[in-house]
Amino acid sequence: MKNNVTIIISCAGMGTRLGIGSTKALADVCGQPLILRQLELLKDYDDVRIVVGYQADRVMQTVKEYRKDILFAFNYDYATTGTAASFCKGLTGAREYVVAFDGDLLVHPEDLSLILEHEGECVGGCEPTTDNPVLMRLNDQNQVVAFSTEQGDLEWTGLAKLKTDRLREGTGHIYMMVEPLMPVDVIQIRTKEIDTPHDYEEAVRWVKGGYKDF
Amino acid sequence: MTDYVFLFDLDSTVTKQEILPTIAKGIGKLDEIRTLTEATMRGEIPFKVSFLNRVSILSSVNVSTVRQIVSQVELNPHIAGFIRENAERCYIVTGNLDIWICDLMKKLGMEHHVYCSKADVKDDKIAQVVSVAEKELIVKQFIRPFVVVGDGDNDSGMARLADIAIGFGGVRDIAPSLLRCVNFAFYDDRRCADFLKTLL
Repeated sequence: MKNNVTIIISCAGMGTRLGIGSTKALADVCGQPLILRQLELLKDYDDVRIVVGYQADRVMQTVKEYRKDILFAFNYDYATTGTAASFCKGLTGAREYVVAFDGDLLVHPEDLSLILEHEGECVGGCEPTTDNPVLMRLNDQNQVVAFSTEQGDLEWTGLAKLKTDRLREGTGHIYMMVEPLMPVDVIQIRTKEIDTPHDYEEAVRWVKGGYKDF
Repeated sequence: MTDYVFLFDLDSTVTKQEILPTIAKGIGKLDEIRTLTEATMRGEIPFKVSFLNRVSILSSVNVSTVRQIVSQVELNPHIAGFIRENAERCYIVTGNLDIWICDLMKKLGMEHHVYCSKADVKDDKIAQVVSVAEKELIVKQFIRPFVVVGDGDNDSGMARLADIAIGFGGVRDIAPSLLRCVNFAFYDDRRCADFLKTLL
């Protein structure tokens, strides 16, 4: 077990843009809910926390049938708060490093460990693909020095490994909690974010094709 | 070190078996007790009414026999271990009767740290119930910040007042009303105890 890392998966939101009427963590990706695909990659970690809100009961039921040793944290203000608020709900008593992991992010199975096992702080970046990306500008040491919706080198994935005692509470987006900590190492990873029906189709095609891009 | 004190519901939070149904099983009244217990956990019958009914069903059994059965009830080892190791900062808050749980409380090191309902005994039988513990009123008396751990509808009041409220669903499902007012939920005894240690 990896003992100095706490992983917080944020699954509180309603996922209205996906339009399946359930929270995105429960979206079926090739026969398996997205949240279980994420947990499969976290078998070696013993401090995994899931922040729930919308349809909390259903998410918890699905998770506990798969794995019982999970801490569930609650964000019942999910309709009016951002991912940082959910993330902060799971921070109590966290270990030296904490990993922020969005519940709508599908990560290439080989790539998540690059973040989790990176020595020190880091954030995950990918080739820009989504409709309204938050972009990261990097310096020559491959560290993020600015976030922007206008320009940048890589897209922010929402995945970040940060030192717990450097974090300040936030209510907006998680990248806003990273901004005061910059520069932070960037690791390029392969991901699919599931926001819209089009994203969902892409993600299913990606998994079916053995995580190869076409 | 934090200032928190830790307040635990007893039945199916600290214990791995439910206490009243365990007693009822011994006298063949399990179904009667279970129906009442389930409805109470869901918040369909007020705790006080249900508890007095359940005591009445079990009142034919000798108090010493009940006490003996209760003292043998299996515990969630990690939560019970946390309580024993941090006895000075832990309290049991339960609707259960003093005369039934006193030996179990000694076993947990909680004999002076328990808030519960009380009854008089005559000839080894319950003579009368004197008071029924109302958890919300009890926890209002605490002047130190507190963490609450529970699983039933009647833990909701104290959860709402807690600085940190935890639902424990390792024995039975956490009552829906409680789920709406906890900060955290656990379904694994060890994981829950490990988290409590980070709050010390």
